[in-house]
Amino acid sequence: MAQAGGNPRSDGDSQQPSIFKVVLLGSSSVGKSSLALRFLKNDFREILPTLGCAFFTHMMEVDGKALKLELWDTAGQEKYHSVCHLYFRGANAALLVYDIAKKDTFHRAQNWWKELENEFQPEEIVVILVGNKMDLEDSREVTFEEGKTFSESNKLLFMETSAKLNYQVTEAFTAIARELLQREEQHGGPAQQKNPSIDLENSASQKKGKCCLD
Amino acid sequence: MSLKSERRGIHVDQSELLCKKGCGYYGNSAWQGFCSKCWREEYQKARQRQIQEDWELAERLQREEEEAFASSQSSQGAQSLTFSKFEGKKTNEKSRKVTTVKKFFSASSRGGPKKVAQEKTLKQGQLGRERNTDNLLRDLKEIFAPAWELASPSEEIQEAKAASPSINRQASLETDRVSKEFIEFLKTFHKTGQEIYKQTKMFLEAMHQKREFSIEEQSECTQDFYQHVAERLQTRGKVPPEKMEKAMDQIEKYIMTRLYKHVFCPETTDDEKKDLAVQKRIRALHWVTPQMLCVPVNEEIPEVSDMVVKAITDIIEMDSKRVPRDKLACITKCSKHIFNAIKITKNEPASADDFLPTLIYIVLKGNPPRLQSNIQYITRFCNPSRLMTGEDGYYFTNLCCAVAFIEKLDAQSLNLSQEDFDRYMSGQSSPKKPESEPWAPDACLGVQQMYKNLDLLSQLNERQERLMSQAKKLEKDLIDWTDGIAKEVQDIVEKYPLEIKPPSQPLAAIDSENVENDKLPPPLQPQVYAG
Repeated sequence: MAQAGGNPRSDGDSQQPSIFKVVLLGSSSVGKSSLALRFLKNDFREILPTLGCAFFTHMMEVDGKALKLELWDTAGQEKYHSVCHLYFRGANAALLVYDIAKKDTFHRAQNWWKELENEFQPEEIVVILVGNKMDLEDSREVTFEEGKTFSESNKLLFMETSAKLNYQVTEAFTAIARELLQREEQHGGPAQQKNPSIDLENSASQKKGKCCLD
Repeated sequence: MSLKSERRGIHVDQSELLCKKGCGYYGNSAWQGFCSKCWREEYQKARQRQIQEDWELAERLQREEEEAFASSQSSQGAQSLTFSKFEGKKTNEKSRKVTTVKKFFSASSRGGPKKVAQEKTLKQGQLGRERNTDNLLRDLKEIFAPAWELASPSEEIQEAKAASPSINRQASLETDRVSKEFIEFLKTFHKTGQEIYKQTKMFLEAMHQKREFSIEEQSECTQDFYQHVAERLQTRGKVPPEKMEKAMDQIEKYIMTRLYKHVFCPETTDDEKKDLAVQKRIRALHWVTPQMLCVPVNEEIPEVSDMVVKAITDIIEMDSKRVPRDKLACITKCSKHIFNAIKITKNEPASADDFLPTLIYIVLKGNPPRLQSNIQYITRFCNPSRLMTGEDGYYFTNLCCAVAFIEKLDAQSLNLSQEDFDRYMSGQSSPKKPESEPWAPDACLGVQQMYKNLDLLSQLNERQERLMSQAKKLEKDLIDWTDGIAKEVQDIVEKYPLEIKPPSQPLAAIDSENVENDKLPPPLQPQVYAG
């Protein structure tokens, strides 16, 4: 409950689901908020936030385990890049979103990753690279392979989605949730791993099979 | 002889040095001629009066504001004026406090670390040569007292009142109220509650002794305490998770109400300097418009400007709260109002891309007092789980981002050229208003309407004058025209005068000149024929 540091808030009680903080990162208008909205709307038909869509909590169940995701949307404008590391504190996962029809958003996602790398130990945070707006296939500027190569070389999860067509949105969040739960299980909550690189690789490759387009 | 007179001189001086209040003790010019005890009483009274006045003023202002904005008729100009007045008073109070404290000590013969003593005076409002030890003892007693046993906290209050009038300060009233609530709350936990109470007492006592430690150490102790208590509640108390949060909130409220004075903006840190720096920075940025920040809020809509004002009020109110959690609640309230404002303007729920710029704008417009101190205080003493996760934590993080952004803000982040930025910052010129309106862009609707009406009236006036002059001209033209016609007629009459010639000959003479006349046969004569 009152743990310091970036550990999930898991109460000793097993009935109480763990809470994970997920930060949404990406340039403005790549669809961060849309992804989150789609995720919320789709799954449980919960009452949507009427006021603003910058902060949501969402209960979900993965492989029979309940968990609570807390989504923190961030301002994507270039000028706020320098202050955005403040959002990272205590984060358990991050969604790096880019627009497949805009090359520069992909580059900015890579910058975000660099920032995350500076801030966290690789085992401290689950990162998924998300290429959004697959519906704009005709004006695609970032190929699937580019995204995949980058995520593989940095051991990130990867997925291409379309918030508009509701393609793979829930899957992206589920992938994060599964990874988070897996890590929590392996390390008994607090993220203190001995050989994180290995299991990250394993889980990443597992995921890839599922996420990539067939 | 001379020695004697000198002595006499001293003697006279000494009699003058007695306390002005006539209590028999010696006074001190540093205490405006009072003895330490009387001075303290006077100072406390004055200070409390000031606090009371400020409070009343603030309350009145808020009431007025709310009334005014409910009808969305109040004047924005007046509002910002009152805010600055309020702020001015605050700083006045602060500076007065500082100078009196300085005066207090400049003449004092006490050695020892000035800072420590100063801290004690400021925070306890009790320091006297004779009574210092007394007070310290009493303080300790208060802490050490097995307060759980004195189940009725009113006794505690009475005790305090009896002990010294100076301890009966406004702050202690609130502290007592919170203590009472805390004890009531803990009673619902039975045995665990008792244990918690003991723990908190011990913690407060320990903190009292650590008062001279660095603020980071104190913060660490507090964080450790939170964690420790939470674990205890869980393992020993078997407190269900849904009740945990409430319990932790109560504990935080209780200890932070007591510690606030010592750990908020402590003098061992440069928090105050940072506060002033941020305040100065925000003042220097007064010219920033919503357009520069790309704020998706249209303040011309009455509901939106209403929300903006409410958000500003909330963020300013944060400084008046003592418990970190209450401060967070103010930030959250402010954020909700911002979301509302964006939603009304854009007609769709706001995303973080919209929210952060608007929050920055609100902070710039409101210039909340002691911003850095508040952020530092919350960071150091709030339950950490609340800062890194949860809705309150999210908004708090956004506020931190906003402040960090304001500190770093440069020409590029406002889409301005470096020259323009420098010019605006130095106050040489201010950005051109989108329309050349004679009123300030932040004037409220009523004032704007008034200016518009004035404009309209002056236009009407102008038109009326033009009408009048044209009517006059028409009149003149008409007169001129008749005159002209008359003149023309006259001219013609003059040019062609009417000549009536007299008849020169009688009619009979018409053919007088006829020479052949006599050649004409004689006129026919009537002839009578016999019939």
